[in-house]
Amino acid sequence: MNYVPGTASLIDDIDKKHLVLLRDGRTLIGYLRSIDQFANLVFHQTVERIHVGKKFGDIPRGIFIVRGENVVLLGEIDMEKPCDTVLQQVSIEEILEEQRLQQQSKQETEKVKMLALKDRGLSIPKADNLDEY
Amino acid sequence: MFRFQSLDEDCTLEEEDEGQIEEEDGIDQFNDDTFGAGAIDDDWQEEHKRLAGLDRTGLGAGLGLGGGGMGGESDLGGAINSTHLHSSAGHLPLPSSLKFSSSSGLPLPDMEDRGGGGGLAESLARLILEADPAIAGVGAAERPGPSSSSSGSSLSPLQGLERPRVLPQPSCIPHLTQSHQLPHHPQHQLPPGPSISGLPPGTSPMSMLSYQQQQHMLRRGTAPMAQMNSHSIWENSMGFGPVSVTPTLVTHMEDSPLMSIIKEVGLPKRAPQGRNDEARDLSERVPPPRSSSPVIGSPPVRAVPIGTPPKQPMSHALNHQIHHPTAVHVRAPIQHRYPPPFPERVSPNTLLNLAVSFSSPQLFQNSPLCCGPFPPGVGPVLSQIQRAQLLNSQVAGFPRGGPAAPLLPGGGGFRPFFGGPPPPLGHRMGPPPPHCPPNHTPPIRHNTTHLHPQHRRMLTQRMQNRGGEHGRTGGDRRSRDPYSNLMSQKEKEWVTKIQMMQLQSTDPYLDDYYYQNYYEKMEKRQERERDSSKKEHTTKLITPQVAKVEHTYRPVQFAGSLGKLTVSSVNNPRKMIDAVVTTRTDDEEKREKQVWNKRRQILYTVEKMYSLLLEVQDFEKRFVQAPEEDREVLLEQHKSNTVQLCNSLREKEWDDRVSDEQCVMIMSVRKGKRLISRLLPFLPSPQSAAVVMAISRNLPALAKKDKQDQVLCWLVEPVSAVILSLSSSALTDLLQELQGNEGQLATVLHNKFGVTLLYLILSEGERMQSSDSNCQLMDDNRWTELVFSVTRELLSVPASSLSPPLFTPPNLLSLFSRYVDRQRLEVLQDKLQISSLSSPILEGLNQALCNTTLSTHL
Repeated sequence: MNYVPGTASLIDDIDKKHLVLLRDGRTLIGYLRSIDQFANLVFHQTVERIHVGKKFGDIPRGIFIVRGENVVLLGEIDMEKPCDTVLQQVSIEEILEEQRLQQQSKQETEKVKMLALKDRGLSIPKADNLDEY
Repeated sequence: MFRFQSLDEDCTLEEEDEGQIEEEDGIDQFNDDTFGAGAIDDDWQEEHKRLAGLDRTGLGAGLGLGGGGMGGESDLGGAINSTHLHSSAGHLPLPSSLKFSSSSGLPLPDMEDRGGGGGLAESLARLILEADPAIAGVGAAERPGPSSSSSGSSLSPLQGLERPRVLPQPSCIPHLTQSHQLPHHPQHQLPPGPSISGLPPGTSPMSMLSYQQQQHMLRRGTAPMAQMNSHSIWENSMGFGPVSVTPTLVTHMEDSPLMSIIKEVGLPKRAPQGRNDEARDLSERVPPPRSSSPVIGSPPVRAVPIGTPPKQPMSHALNHQIHHPTAVHVRAPIQHRYPPPFPERVSPNTLLNLAVSFSSPQLFQNSPLCCGPFPPGVGPVLSQIQRAQLLNSQVAGFPRGGPAAPLLPGGGGFRPFFGGPPPPLGHRMGPPPPHCPPNHTPPIRHNTTHLHPQHRRMLTQRMQNRGGEHGRTGGDRRSRDPYSNLMSQKEKEWVTKIQMMQLQSTDPYLDDYYYQNYYEKMEKRQERERDSSKKEHTTKLITPQVAKVEHTYRPVQFAGSLGKLTVSSVNNPRKMIDAVVTTRTDDEEKREKQVWNKRRQILYTVEKMYSLLLEVQDFEKRFVQAPEEDREVLLEQHKSNTVQLCNSLREKEWDDRVSDEQCVMIMSVRKGKRLISRLLPFLPSPQSAAVVMAISRNLPALAKKDKQDQVLCWLVEPVSAVILSLSSSALTDLLQELQGNEGQLATVLHNKFGVTLLYLILSEGERMQSSDSNCQLMDDNRWTELVFSVTRELLSVPASSLSPPLFTPPNLLSLFSRYVDRQRLEVLQDKLQISSLSSPILEGLNQALCNTTLSTHL
């Protein structure tokens, strides 16, 4: 129920299961328990879901408080919708391992690219530093 | 969001308290000012002290309930524990002592739960009821109520006394049911510590306990269990991935859904004892008065700064008199003008639980609402939020399970009571929607006056469609979720209020342009479609206008004193530098200023002329678009504009001629040149001729000034257009002007524009001569002489100093062939790179080409 019809508010999303994508790339799934005017979110029974390829793993995190500015997007999970997914759930250790491998390979390609660019006299700053500017 | 007071997880000793108290009090003071007195208040400290007395009496049993879980809790649980502590003295040692004390009671809980728990419950309840006379009536009625289950009763004392916790837990009860499982987990036993009596005064472990208990039930020590439990709810509500099940917890799993429901049903009779109520009240006392910001010079000090979590219970949700004198829809909670018949401090949650209790018929008589409906005029304002609540309660489906209806302050069960509200909600409410569920009173609309009526209609339709669906499914799910409604109704209203405050605008057409325009267009469209007989249906859109009040600070001045008393506050910060303007009278500066002033004046003139010019240029477009009646006006306007433009070129008002100086002045600026080039086509021909004359007369000067900009060539096109329209005498005059004094021609030839201009003139002359046999060009010798002198100059000037023109008209050759002999002609040809064209047809073609290139070139 919207207190102010014609507007969008998170009030209606309370106590529902949500998926939130954070700015650092993490995906959290949890019950949205509380909000405030900055869209800081309180998640309950949060699970951090790591996706690597076709596999995913859930790490239970408990209660999460997310500062509003770090949210990229937030969406309600429809509990009634049938969960037909091709993704395969694996254990936490496995998914962390997969993630590590993925990061490693990404770093290696990045290194090769930087080297190639350097040879040509170009330098592209890394994206993770851009936020500071 | 709630503010966590302090995280003193490590501080377990009493000695450390003292040192930290002042610091924290100070910090909290600031926090209060910023965030408002969410939870820190004086009164609840006293309450704590009072209740601590209660603690000492018979708490040992009850505390044991939660003790088991505390030992092996996860980090998070520990953090949560400590975060619920307030920074005032005596609370810091709470968790540890609680742990100890509760664990001491560990072997006993089962027995005392069932047996001694009742006694504890009674004593606690008594204490609360004494504290809160309003609830006394409720409590008295409910105390003798039977406890449906042992664990239900054991839980009640804990809930009976809820200390100000940051996160209220109205319905986390079901998980407390696992308390009876505690003895199965010996690893959670802590070494026995000091007893409850060792607790310093002012502590109230009960609420801590209850919350912690609830937490601990979930997170008992080992990680797999935590995982298990964290999945438990999800398992219940939906199969969410595989869950690793440890054998010990299987029983939990099986029990929890069933138990939770039982506990919920068994609960409500205990809830109204003010568990939530206490939490609300004690966190809502007035904060200590602000030490800073005196009244003078600052806005009225609010007891609660903007942005404070809600304080007053929204019991005027149940009022049925609404006053909305102004269009400002967001209001801070207003003090009750009349004593509400309902207990003052009953929170919406309490009401909710009452609603829940109401749903189980045997408890109905315990509901305080049996006191009867409110007298009319109980509260002044039914705020927008509350009305939204009411609406929701009636639009949404009624059959919602227990605490699953956070938005139903009264629930559907209060239907007879709510028979009152809808009519007085009066003028704000639109007509009831066409179809509404049969068991509801006519639904109340939100206060949607600030919405366009069309918009409002659409919204209510949408809500009705959704109300039925959500009510059924949401309620069902939420009945299983013991953690729902962590965010109380008040808090939701508070957040919404803040959001609504942000929506208020002094200028809706600026802030909400697209919305306003969209609905305006829709209105117009509808008006067009409907016939005139239905005109009364179109309602005017009323938008809330927040008055733009200028708040300026005027420093106070006492009579007879020197100076003013300045007080700086947030709204009028202190002036750091008192800047005073002083004029300097330096001669040099004056001269410099004069130069600058002159330039500024020129620029100013140019700007003014430009705006006129733009109007003139746009005239055509507007004329076409304007309806018939406006056209005459536009025409008049256009004429006056043109006249004004012409006048601006004159130096003096009485002088009819175009002023040379003015032109030159304007053209000394780059923008001015551009202006002239755009202006020329719009001037009447004598004036444009005069302008061109002026240009050619002052060409050297202009050329010099243009050295930096090099934009004189913009003028070629309009000037050529003018030249084409010149008469032969005028043309001759022009050529004469161009030649001007001695040596002018040389300068002219030096300049690209000059050369082009010269060629244009010559070409035009030639054209005139060749096309019109009896043209007057040859009547006097001027033209011939001039051309002669030009050719002489051209011949004498070295080729290098001759600037290449923008283009070369082809008929120059024929022109020169008239006046010079063959030899010189060839020289000229080389110099000027004029190609020889013998065929007249080709010449004509070239002429045409030349004209087109003129236009494309520029």
